[in-house]
Amino acid sequence: MRFCKTIWVVVLLLVTGIAWVAADNAYFRPRPVKFTVPAGWPQPVYDFKSNPLTQEGIALGRELFYDGRLSKDGNFSCGSCHQQFGAFDTYDHNLSHGFDNSFTTRNAPGLFNLAWQKEFMWDGGINHLDLQPLAPLTAPNEMAETLENVMAKLKADKKYRAMFKAAFGDETINTQRMNKAISQFVLTLVSSNSKYDKVKRGEASFILPEQLGYDIFKKKCNSCHTEPLFTDFSYRNTGLKADPYLNDVGRMKITGNPADSLKFRVPSLRNVARTFPYGHDGRFFSLSSVFEHYRNGMTVMHNTDSLLQHKLALSNFEIGQLTAFLYTLTDSSFLTNPRFAPPGSENIGKAPVDIHL
Amino acid sequence: MNRFAKYIAFTGCLALLLSFTGKHPPEPHVVTLRFHSVVGNHSLELGRSYVNALGDTIAVQRFKYYVSNIIITDAVGKDVYLFPRRYYLVDAEDSASQSIQLKIPALPLKQVRFTLGVDSIRNVSGVQTGALDPLHGMFWTWNSGYIMAKLEGVSSSAHVPGQRFTYHVGGFKAADNTARVITLDLPPGTAPVDEINIAADINAWFKGGFLLKIGEHPICHSPGGLAVQIADNYKGMFSISSVR
Repeated sequence: MRFCKTIWVVVLLLVTGIAWVAADNAYFRPRPVKFTVPAGWPQPVYDFKSNPLTQEGIALGRELFYDGRLSKDGNFSCGSCHQQFGAFDTYDHNLSHGFDNSFTTRNAPGLFNLAWQKEFMWDGGINHLDLQPLAPLTAPNEMAETLENVMAKLKADKKYRAMFKAAFGDETINTQRMNKAISQFVLTLVSSNSKYDKVKRGEASFILPEQLGYDIFKKKCNSCHTEPLFTDFSYRNTGLKADPYLNDVGRMKITGNPADSLKFRVPSLRNVARTFPYGHDGRFFSLSSVFEHYRNGMTVMHNTDSLLQHKLALSNFEIGQLTAFLYTLTDSSFLTNPRFAPPGSENIGKAPVDIHL
Repeated sequence: MNRFAKYIAFTGCLALLLSFTGKHPPEPHVVTLRFHSVVGNHSLELGRSYVNALGDTIAVQRFKYYVSNIIITDAVGKDVYLFPRRYYLVDAEDSASQSIQLKIPALPLKQVRFTLGVDSIRNVSGVQTGALDPLHGMFWTWNSGYIMAKLEGVSSSAHVPGQRFTYHVGGFKAADNTARVITLDLPPGTAPVDEINIAADINAWFKGGFLLKIGEHPICHSPGGLAVQIADNYKGMFSISSVR
């Protein structure tokens, strides 16, 4: 009888203990966010299982993305070079401004549809989205800060401690959690609602020049700027001679292979009307100068892409129609989505008015 | 209180309760791997000048490397103790980092095997924590991948600013791989092992199958041919200096 009583006491203790452990955790558990793959798109390459999206994680990532304190002098947040109205590139800048009056050495790319991208930077040197923020954070001509200092600043901030706890379950702050949170935020930057997308979904139709431009696009551009992401993520030499002051060899810097000299990642053309200037060093200030490069300006080298060995024949008429089509890739709901704007600020949704052609 | 802390508290209470009735389990036996740096016959003192195996003067300022995937075999060669997914950053500047404690029964042991460096999986899986946290300065941010081993210092043969030679050796892709598996046989004996002292000889970096002359190559900062040649050299830097 006494033995029986002991068992009951132990069972009761166990049940209370388990209940205590499990109890209010449900209340604090971060709320999952579903990542939706637009119809007809391929499956993302990002491993969401290793970093499930949650409301709290995305909110933390957004806070970090727009926090200048992540840089050495407090002036440069991720968002200072990745501006929403420029589809998260640096609007109207060939190169971006960094710490102590310095410039970056490449054109800041727009940030969208990153869940489908395996490698990052113009040369593909970074092999995981979670690793990407480390480069601008520590580069002396960008945010110029050490990771140790960033961690110290975050740990000293009560608000961040609470946000890390809300996102990850406890107050531990480390590089991995910081970067996972930033990844969560930038993964939500999906641009899939341009006129082109609406036409594809049967919600709108092209006007004649857009349709003609689309037909030309499918013949002359689509093999590299492949739909629906408008890039095949390959590295190609498009006959751009190196700028003598930058001397950027591109992909060769990563592979060490001379065959990769002056190869750069094919950029997506989504929101292209907003992401000028163009090219890895931002040398082209308008779409028409890019077309001019392909039909005349190219320096054909031994490893220039086989599709461009004879440059790209384009008539003035074709350029006009292509331009009309490329304008349909502008996703205004993405460019003005208040969820992507700095936390707490009202997004006015007005982009600068000058559009370069 | 978070869930983990609660688990600890709860299991702690439970263990305390049970400890009144049950027998204490025996304390697990610990074998310590202790790394120490040498230049030939001399113990390394950071900042002090030595002459290396090729006759170049060197004053080492930084010397760090990753040790991972340790495998220990017992004297009969039967039982193998594996420590996968454990990564240690051994740093000549930090004595605590030079001791690695492993739970292994008190036995005579035969062989120590480990990887100098970080396996390729960890090089492609995003940001890691602990010894692999990129904030330790052993990660290339512009060309993702770990620096497997780092040796920096001053040499009169280094004709570069500050006369500083800097070898940051990394690369994990097939042809550029700089991680090396190190196999060290313990001297045969019958006594159970408590401590294994391993010497890391910096001379091996310079003199191996490849002659690393500081005058010719004061700098290695990217994956590729030179890094692989240095890795083939540093593969031979370890030896067992004593066993207790």
